[in-house]
Amino acid sequence: MPSPTPGRTTPGRHLRRRLSLLTASAAIGALLLSACSNSGDGPSGGAAGANPDATITIGSLNEPTTLNTVKGGNTGHAQVLLRNVVEGLTVLTDDGKVEPLLAKSWDVSPEGTTYTFHLQPGVTFSDGTPLKAADVVATLKRVTSDESTSARKKDLSIMKTIEAPDDSTVKVGLSQRSQSFLFYLTATGAAVTKAGAGNPETTVVGTGPYTVGGWKQGDSITLTRNDKYWGTAPKNKEVVYRFFKDTTAENNALLAGQLDLVTQVTSPDVLPQFENRPEFTVVEGTSTTKELFNFNDSVAPFNNVDVRKAIRQATDRKALLNAVWAERGQILGSMVPPTDPWFEDLTSIDDHNVESAKALLAKAGYANGLTFTVDYVPSDSINIVAQGLKSQLAQAGITINLNPIDDATWTDKVYSNHNFQATIMTHVNQRDLVWYGDPSFYWQYDNPQVQQWVKQSETAATEAEQTELLKKVARQISEDAASDWLFLDPAIKVASSAVSGYQKNLTTDSFYVAPISKQR
Amino acid sequence: MLRYLLRRLGWLVGSLFLAGSAVFFLLRVLPGDPAVTLLAVGSPPEQIEAIRHQLGTDRPLLTQYGDWFGGLLTGHLGDSLFTRTPVLDQILDRLPVTLPLALSAFVASILVAVPVGVFAALRRRNATGVAVSGLAQLGIALPIFWVGIVVVWLVAVQGRLLPPGGFPRAGWQEPGAAVESLVLPVLTLTIAQASLLVRYVRSATLDVLGQEYLRTARSLGYSLPRALWRHGLRNGAAPVVNVLGVLLAGSLIGTVVIESVFALPGLGSLLLTSVKSRDLPVVQGTVFLMTGTVLLVGLAVDLLQRLIDPRLRGQA
Repeated sequence: MPSPTPGRTTPGRHLRRRLSLLTASAAIGALLLSACSNSGDGPSGGAAGANPDATITIGSLNEPTTLNTVKGGNTGHAQVLLRNVVEGLTVLTDDGKVEPLLAKSWDVSPEGTTYTFHLQPGVTFSDGTPLKAADVVATLKRVTSDESTSARKKDLSIMKTIEAPDDSTVKVGLSQRSQSFLFYLTATGAAVTKAGAGNPETTVVGTGPYTVGGWKQGDSITLTRNDKYWGTAPKNKEVVYRFFKDTTAENNALLAGQLDLVTQVTSPDVLPQFENRPEFTVVEGTSTTKELFNFNDSVAPFNNVDVRKAIRQATDRKALLNAVWAERGQILGSMVPPTDPWFEDLTSIDDHNVESAKALLAKAGYANGLTFTVDYVPSDSINIVAQGLKSQLAQAGITINLNPIDDATWTDKVYSNHNFQATIMTHVNQRDLVWYGDPSFYWQYDNPQVQQWVKQSETAATEAEQTELLKKVARQISEDAASDWLFLDPAIKVASSAVSGYQKNLTTDSFYVAPISKQR
Repeated sequence: MLRYLLRRLGWLVGSLFLAGSAVFFLLRVLPGDPAVTLLAVGSPPEQIEAIRHQLGTDRPLLTQYGDWFGGLLTGHLGDSLFTRTPVLDQILDRLPVTLPLALSAFVASILVAVPVGVFAALRRRNATGVAVSGLAQLGIALPIFWVGIVVVWLVAVQGRLLPPGGFPRAGWQEPGAAVESLVLPVLTLTIAQASLLVRYVRSATLDVLGQEYLRTARSLGYSLPRALWRHGLRNGAAPVVNVLGVLLAGSLIGTVVIESVFALPGLGSLLLTSVKSRDLPVVQGTVFLMTGTVLLVGLAVDLLQRLIDPRLRGQA
């Protein structure tokens, strides 16, 4: 075994970083490392020698803008709060299934419009007060209130009546049957919080295994173990999320031992620094993060299906994926990741074929070529995708002008005002195929048949029926080339070998930290 | 002198007001709506409207401007749109990182650049002097973030001598760790600023060396270093002091880049975070404060120059 780098796994290293103590701590570190590597056993292994009072430091590039559970549109929001600080009636598991959490069980009326939830007994909020059905009612009313900007507000507005017949029962009446209702309840906005506790933007009281110990904006959020937690106690005492604006800074912190793991590696270029080193573990899982090349389907030339198909056929998705992720991740044939229940491999539709793309363009009246502008928010991987698309499409006679813009401008220009031709965008959510059933969504895909199927899938009598309908939707939008779905990002994490128990996949909004343990 | 001071202060307040107003309107002309950055993908337009109303960004521009200006008069910089906490509190929270960083780099730059610049001037015709000038030129040409990345890589990642970034969560209650985390950022900022200053000190010294009073002093038996110390320093100081003002302002603005490279929770990173989320009151407050500091430094420089050079005192 190569000799370990000294000083890395010294516990409490934040306090120990003194120049004068450097030699001493390096020696101690080497001793500790050799001691724990005897008992250590891989990333998901047991907790032999784990320190129950460890502080886990996690590097992230996504800081929440608020702690208000019914606000906050970014991924960092749910990654910090959901399941860690606040919990919902139901929870989405890593393999895409909806399971009970605060609701122990539920009954559904025969017509499927009344849900009776039986709450888990003995649950308390982090302030010590017991969870009552009234708290759940207040939360569910809040997510659809005027104050709410939750992503699930519109979906959850199907709740017509929300009542608490007794302290441990919540009864919800829906305006229509909803196959997705239990899934919607896994959202951060539907997570149960205690009302009226301080500034809602900076404080949150939930039933989760942690409380927010402190938030230093632009720097870090500290989660402190909730000793009164009703469920399985966390395997660590404290979790610190450190937020970086810059991937290089994040990697350096990891290399120097300031971090125990990072939520996600955004480019494989950094991996060689960590691979084949005993003090680090590189783990690859699956995600729901889809890289999309979207057209404004309502404007010329993209209102012509042949043009869209030509662009898809001119795209070599495999080459793009390899350029960005080097043999990791997988290509997509539609808007569905394998963890959504309605996944089917559709990658054979509009497979890479430059000659066929040229023929389609000629048929559509663009024999002499086609030029358009692509708006995108630059990042390590999106830059590679943009350059790759530019050279691939050029081979079919398509010229694209690349127009990098910032996030807020993208939202304004592309998302809100539909003032764009094409764009490259990352879509992270699960089960978001249904956006193709909304003609007012930014890509403006308008197919009444698809809209009808999406609607029917929601009110379907069974899950199987819902799944069948959405499979049809996925195939139809692929045949219509509604967008050019490029690939599914892998979920890659780099962690210190001293920690284990972290989730490998990025298939849920939450980043559940309670099972993470660290060797002494 | 008092009248001069009052007039300069009047100018300062006026400039600050104009700069603040310009920032206010520029921010609102730029694309990007704070309401939209708060929302999740797929939110209907009514919801965006509702948020604009909650945030108050749907009110007429002049009303918002009036609010901002009124707040300013009573010492309020407004509240963050997202966290609903006062902007001033957030800024004060960041100063313990940014002030020591900018000031240490400023002082270190002077301590390094003045002797090095004088040395480069005195040795301008031999290899060491030329090498020093060349290095300073290189220091100016290198982008500051690149210098930062190299410094982190060598000292923190390879050498493991200092942390590569971050600031202790307990702040200055952990003085040792706080100082350690500022060493590399200060070093990086100093490399950039000192390089610039060396060139000015060198040319100011060269200027002085050619002056007749220096020749007179030497003919009276003073050694060159002593002649420079007695007569040259004061004469050479005036143009250098002018540059110091620019330098101090540069240190402050340089923190925006430095804090991002070193993941420091200072004013610069607050500015970056807020620009990204379009938290307009925070952006505005931070820029306003930075502008104010730069203007104040300009005033201090002017006053200092009048102290050094009596010839300026007669002028209005």
